[in-house]
Amino acid sequence: MNTEYRSQNTEVRINKILLFLSCILYLVSCILPTVSEAKVYIDITSPAFKKFPIAIQELSGISGKEVSDIIKGDLEFTGIFEYIDSGAYIEDHSQPFNPQSWKPLGVEAVLKGSVKEDQDLSVTIFLYDVLEGKEIFKKVYRTNKEFIRSLSHAISNDIYYALTGEKGVFRTRIAFVAKNEGKMGLYIMDWDGNRIIKLGPTGNIILPPRWSRDGTKLIYSAERNRQWGIYILDFVQLNEKKVFFSNGTNIVGDFFPSGNEFSFSSSKDGTPDIYIKDTKEDKIIKLTSSYSTDVSPAVSPDGKYIAFVSDRGGSPQIYIINKDGSDIRRLTFEGSYNTSPIWSPKGDRIAFVGRVGTNQIFIIRPDGTELLQLTTSGNNEDPSFSPDGRYITLSSDRDGSKGIYIMRANGEYQKRITPKNIRAYGPRWSLD
Amino acid sequence: MKKLFMLTVLFGFVVIFMGCPPKKVAKPEIEQPPTTSQEAVQKTTEVGPEEKITEQELTKIESAEITKEESPKSSEKAREEITEKDILKDIYFDFDMYNIQPDAKTTLETITAWLLKDPSKKILIEGHCDERGTNEYNLALGDRRAKAARDYLIALGIAPKRIEMVSYGEEKPLCADQSEECWAKNRRAHFVILQEAGK
Repeated sequence: MNTEYRSQNTEVRINKILLFLSCILYLVSCILPTVSEAKVYIDITSPAFKKFPIAIQELSGISGKEVSDIIKGDLEFTGIFEYIDSGAYIEDHSQPFNPQSWKPLGVEAVLKGSVKEDQDLSVTIFLYDVLEGKEIFKKVYRTNKEFIRSLSHAISNDIYYALTGEKGVFRTRIAFVAKNEGKMGLYIMDWDGNRIIKLGPTGNIILPPRWSRDGTKLIYSAERNRQWGIYILDFVQLNEKKVFFSNGTNIVGDFFPSGNEFSFSSSKDGTPDIYIKDTKEDKIIKLTSSYSTDVSPAVSPDGKYIAFVSDRGGSPQIYIINKDGSDIRRLTFEGSYNTSPIWSPKGDRIAFVGRVGTNQIFIIRPDGTELLQLTTSGNNEDPSFSPDGRYITLSSDRDGSKGIYIMRANGEYQKRITPKNIRAYGPRWSLD
Repeated sequence: MKKLFMLTVLFGFVVIFMGCPPKKVAKPEIEQPPTTSQEAVQKTTEVGPEEKITEQELTKIESAEITKEESPKSSEKAREEITEKDILKDIYFDFDMYNIQPDAKTTLETITAWLLKDPSKKILIEGHCDERGTNEYNLALGDRRAKAARDYLIALGIAPKRIEMVSYGEEKPLCADQSEECWAKNRRAHFVILQEAGK
């Protein structure tokens, strides 16, 4: 508890320092708009930004191609970059960067570098600005060979940050549930579907896990011995703890930002209602109490609101309630089956599953405007946003077997990331 | 005095550049994690093994740890194979509904009579759904179906403590095809004799 308090304190301090630094950066960048650190090459917040043409030269060294390919895949998925094909390159990797060999290709930034291998992997990266003919950054990355993918994603993150000013998601992970030989288990993988790891806990039925803010815990519901319990898997303490159980069906919603509270639904008093459990004080607060079915309480990023599903109006629809239980309002009115709400990281969108003959992913603003259907083929369920809100992961049976997909948050570029031989679903993107 | 002057100048700068277009600036909240940037400054351009890589290693360790702790439990064993198949028939529900259908009444009355005859018997009611809904909502719906059947038996005179219930939602379908016929079979309350009954 002490450590937690201290770390929160540190966080506050770091935040203050960061805020101060950004203020200075803000001033400096205003005075000298050409200072390279502050230049944002791609304004991804603008609705009409143009794709940024980038050349990624294959890095020299044995693993050079692998590293360049991972970076290329990362950047292409974002939809922000236009990758200029290497077939057109004039300069090869042995030659020093010369802006004149890139300008005719319409390239605005060039990535060059080399990979050295002994016991470890050492990758040197140069990112150049073609128009101004200068280096944007140079960095050396070192790691164990086993982590070549993490290292490459770290490079992608640095490139993304240097060019957009925003944090990349290339090192985030997705937790999910899969069925293997009749047994359900918890899994995590990289955001691109690589490095699938099976975690220990199993259950007769396990429901999709949710991450804590700091990524050190997963909370999930499991049915074991005819009892629905809520469990926390702690990556630091390497254990699983049962944090709630009672008669009836108990299903966890989300952690609150503090990490000491979580929302859940329980039918312990007869019909499923929404509750908040405070693990620090070890108490339970009942938020809804009706004869209807209330389930799937999703906590807003600021912790002030809960979106949940209720059939109080005759069909399952999404409602929003304040954390103190006041001001229930209905969010969805289209269709007769809307479930599985989840908030975007900025709190400006709610994604959910709507049934229109088949199950499809929709997004809507929390004020009920701008309803948009993002998927059309097969059944699509379990939406979850990336930490930057730009992408959504989901499960789908569109290719026959159930698997996990990712797409841009506007529905573009949907692709399957889990192999066909695992029946995977319930993906949840890590929050950082 | 000098300090005051500096402050004024600084304030002046702030005011002057307040209207500067925010486009060229990284937002403070999305500043890169301090560890990375500090590392980059302190060690010039060298980046050590990233913190998340270590985390990845941790993950590998813990799954092994947890597998050991976790002993697989089979709830199936706690049940007895049904011998009274003719009595403990499934009852069925409409899509997204949990009200007892008229044609289920005979089944429920037969079960009641059977339970009243042998007070040592205890049963479990499982609530099930077809696959078309979403998992969590289906678990809640399965819960309502099991409860509806249980409430019915209680109304007919069975002691509540003799009837346990659990929802399996859409997770344990009887029939795997994607057809209305199959879905209808899956939208059911299923009755199981509990072995520990009367002991």
